[in-house]
Amino acid sequence: MALTGKDIPSGAAPGDGEPVGPEWRSDMVDVSGLSLSDLVELTKDQDSALALSLRRLANDLTDPGEPIAGFNSAL
Amino acid sequence: MNRHRLSDTAFAALGAGHPSAATLAELRRAQFGKHLLLLGEIARAEPDPWYATERADPAGFRCLVADPLFGAWAADRLRRDGHRGDRPEPGGRWLTAQEQDLTIRLRLADSEPARHLLGLPPTGPLSDAEAGEWQRCLTPAWRLLVTRHRPAAEALAAVLSCLVPVQSDPAARGISATSADAFGAVAMSVPEDATALAVGLLHEAQHSILNATTYLFDLLEIPHPLGYSPWRDDPRPAAGLLHGAYAYLAVTRFWRAERAAPQATAAQRAAEKQPAEDQQQPGNRLAAFEFARWREAVADVADRLLAGGNLTAAGRRFVGALRDEVGPWLAEPVDPQIERLARAANADHRLRWRLRNLILDPDDAARLARAWRAGAPPPDVTPRLVPGTRRALERSLRLDLIHATVKGDPPPQPGGRRTAGDAAFLRGDHGTAESAYVDRLFAAPDDDAAWTGLALVTGHADRLECGKALTMREQTHPVAALRWISGA
Repeated sequence: MALTGKDIPSGAAPGDGEPVGPEWRSDMVDVSGLSLSDLVELTKDQDSALALSLRRLANDLTDPGEPIAGFNSAL
Repeated sequence: MNRHRLSDTAFAALGAGHPSAATLAELRRAQFGKHLLLLGEIARAEPDPWYATERADPAGFRCLVADPLFGAWAADRLRRDGHRGDRPEPGGRWLTAQEQDLTIRLRLADSEPARHLLGLPPTGPLSDAEAGEWQRCLTPAWRLLVTRHRPAAEALAAVLSCLVPVQSDPAARGISATSADAFGAVAMSVPEDATALAVGLLHEAQHSILNATTYLFDLLEIPHPLGYSPWRDDPRPAAGLLHGAYAYLAVTRFWRAERAAPQATAAQRAAEKQPAEDQQQPGNRLAAFEFARWREAVADVADRLLAGGNLTAAGRRFVGALRDEVGPWLAEPVDPQIERLARAANADHRLRWRLRNLILDPDDAARLARAWRAGAPPPDVTPRLVPGTRRALERSLRLDLIHATVKGDPPPQPGGRRTAGDAAFLRGDHGTAESAYVDRLFAAPDDDAAWTGLALVTGHADRLECGKALTMREQTHPVAALRWISGA
């Protein structure tokens, strides 16, 4: 089963190096192996999985949830 | 391109606060990719020759992009649309500590502009002596973590790589923060001692790990209603509750291990005039108190998150694993006096939160008063949150006294800040404490500390803000009002 973490995982979709079993797949694609120039080129395709990642990232920038978390010893 | 993914086993372990090395590596890859995506957006909008350094020095370029403060810089640059000209300039010096075969390296970032983006005011550049103080604190903190908390130390070494020194807050013994934009960076004021540094690093690393998790997976539905948090004085959304619970899961685990850890030797105790060997030592007592206090808070917040209907399926899996982790700790025995004080500290905070953040509408206050005068049962009124409450965490005198009692410190002298009610409460004399708190409320009906103290010792803590409002409006006896509101 694919995607989002909003769905209960099911089926048997092994992840890289992980045991076979249910898994959680993110909307975010792994771009860590790309060069910057390749990445910029790929982002021109507005319908790709990468474009979906960028939209999610843009949402995070607008609404970061808990932008600053922290600790105060007054507790 | 592949999507980031975690097996269900790995995801549950992450929620339980036991991420594997492979899981942390996946999160690091995702955060590097996030930085690259942010830079790609900047580069598309603002072609700049410095990006070309990637071709000349690919390794150096990737090292720069991987730095935690690069993420903060890039996110800030994109949020401030149109700002041009600056570029990340990582600087500072390195703090390093090695114990056994495990090393932690933290860049002490005390000069670059991006250090201002972590939510706390940073210090200026440190002198050699000031940087040396950080190193002298890190060395024993790392020894403590590696020797007694090995899995946590391994996670810290894999996650944290940057420390931003920040200005101390006079209202706290220490403060620290983590930005969602700077995975692996911690902003921290000079810690009180090595133990405080160890706990602070554990706490902040949890925030980074959770931020990296929520970058990949939605754990919460929106909107997030505001509610009570054991870690703040202002109302918090579910995202804040989750962060608090996840950070304090690691803190609770730390104190759980510390309470059972061997303390100083008999000779050391004698030299330091500590209690005899057959008595529970101050370090263990404090550890037991912190463990008892936070296990209850983490479990309570996890239960409320699970029952609140704001979690996604991934969120339910994550928080369920967290709750399963802390669950067995609730049954572990703790010295009854320590347990009593831990529960009191939590209850006191919750009561103070209610008085600070909940008010009765005038119509409800009038209904309450009419029912009281008529001798009828209390009507069902719903206090509402005070609008516009800002980030807050105030120091509690009663909590300071509880800490002093736990540690065996000498009580404050007569004429100091300790009230007669608190003195009686701390020694477990609730009858005397009740009389003292009532006397205080006759003199100062608006004294919230006396109200919370009275609720603690009478056990009539239900809807405290309603009891206070009724007493002030109708000039009733405080205990009678609390008893009536509680239905006792």
